[in-house]
Amino acid sequence: MKAKLVGLMAVLLLLAAAPVFAHHSFAAEYDSTKPVTLKGTVVKFDWVNPHSRLYMEVKDQATGKTVQWELETGNVTTLQRRGWRRDTLKPGDAIIVTGFRAKDGANLAAASTVSTADGKRLFAGSANDGGPNSQQ
Amino acid sequence: MRNHFLDWILIIAAALIVFSLALTPATAQGQPAGATKQGPRILLPKAGPPPPRLPDGRVDLGNGKGAWSPVVIKDLTGHGYGDTNIQNAGKRGPQLVEKPVDIQMLPWAQKFFDVADGNLSKDDPEGFCLPPGIPRMQATPFPFQIYQLPDRLIFVYEGGAHMWRIVYTDGRAHSKDATDYPTYLGEGIGHWDGDTMVVDNVGFNDKTWLDAAGHPHTEKLHVVERYTRTSVNNLHYEATIDDPGTYTKPWTTSWNIVWEPGITPLEYICQEGNRDIQHLVGK
Repeated sequence: MKAKLVGLMAVLLLLAAAPVFAHHSFAAEYDSTKPVTLKGTVVKFDWVNPHSRLYMEVKDQATGKTVQWELETGNVTTLQRRGWRRDTLKPGDAIIVTGFRAKDGANLAAASTVSTADGKRLFAGSANDGGPNSQQ
Repeated sequence: MRNHFLDWILIIAAALIVFSLALTPATAQGQPAGATKQGPRILLPKAGPPPPRLPDGRVDLGNGKGAWSPVVIKDLTGHGYGDTNIQNAGKRGPQLVEKPVDIQMLPWAQKFFDVADGNLSKDDPEGFCLPPGIPRMQATPFPFQIYQLPDRLIFVYEGGAHMWRIVYTDGRAHSKDATDYPTYLGEGIGHWDGDTMVVDNVGFNDKTWLDAAGHPHTEKLHVVERYTRTSVNNLHYEATIDDPGTYTKPWTTSWNIVWEPGITPLEYICQEGNRDIQHLVGK
């Protein structure tokens, strides 16, 4: 039952967190037909504008190699108003990120949700990217 | 059995919480009307008590007791261009202006617009952290405040990035050289028309797009803004775009901006880490 609950939450959060980009065109950078789920550990979280950046290491199940990914999240003020802190994510934290892949093939994605090992789920801020009320 | 019942209560509660989170921004902005997945959508004026007044009798436009919180409007004409969010990428998405307006661009402008639309607005100056200009400052989703002094208004914007703007209201005319020194926000001169603050703007450079869709303009741009606080919670915003270098005739668009008590603009320095540029590939 717990699994069902977690699954439902994940789906709903994904729906709720569909990114709307204000600072730049979402579609010019990311592919809405290529959702991605990444499971790994935090390398670095850069608390910067216009988008905070999350860097994580993901182990490729097929090759066993570790690959680094860059995740675009919301701007600092949006994240701050949503309760994020610059140390919300620390190096080594285990996380699961959902998002959409970059069109240029880089290991880059626009994050929708970030889930931490303690079960906390965070909107990535990109749903309201550029401001607290940027929904359409 | 009882455990299963509690589990389902938990699931339903979780669903309600998540959906309420998802819907909060929309409801906070007033009541969307005619909302469909891809169709037009506007924000109705948010109801509330009559707007407060200052000792001089003028409507209080905020003065730092909270902030106006605009939403992003990708196409100021309301026809749904430039909507590049995830649900509507490449399609004509919902818009938040009150009424779509038909415009006619001069041939160069139409060509410019078609290119912008064709490459999914990848060259939008705002994506390069340049200021949005007027009226787009009021269609960019960052809180802003309006302070009223006896002879001027001071706009403090969180976005665009972290800008300010002074609008004199002391009866002066535009500077004679306003158009000789074009700027991103131009020169705004204001006066009251009843309870509406009218700001006349000239002296723009041509480095901004009017909106994310890619409607261009020249340095001949002349924008007349009308700010009307219709209730404590709502600012009705109207802008008339007059640019004979780009459009065959002036056109007017309008939308509503919600009041958020207790909010203050925070620092937003867009230039700090704009790492998107190298990945903006367009189609």
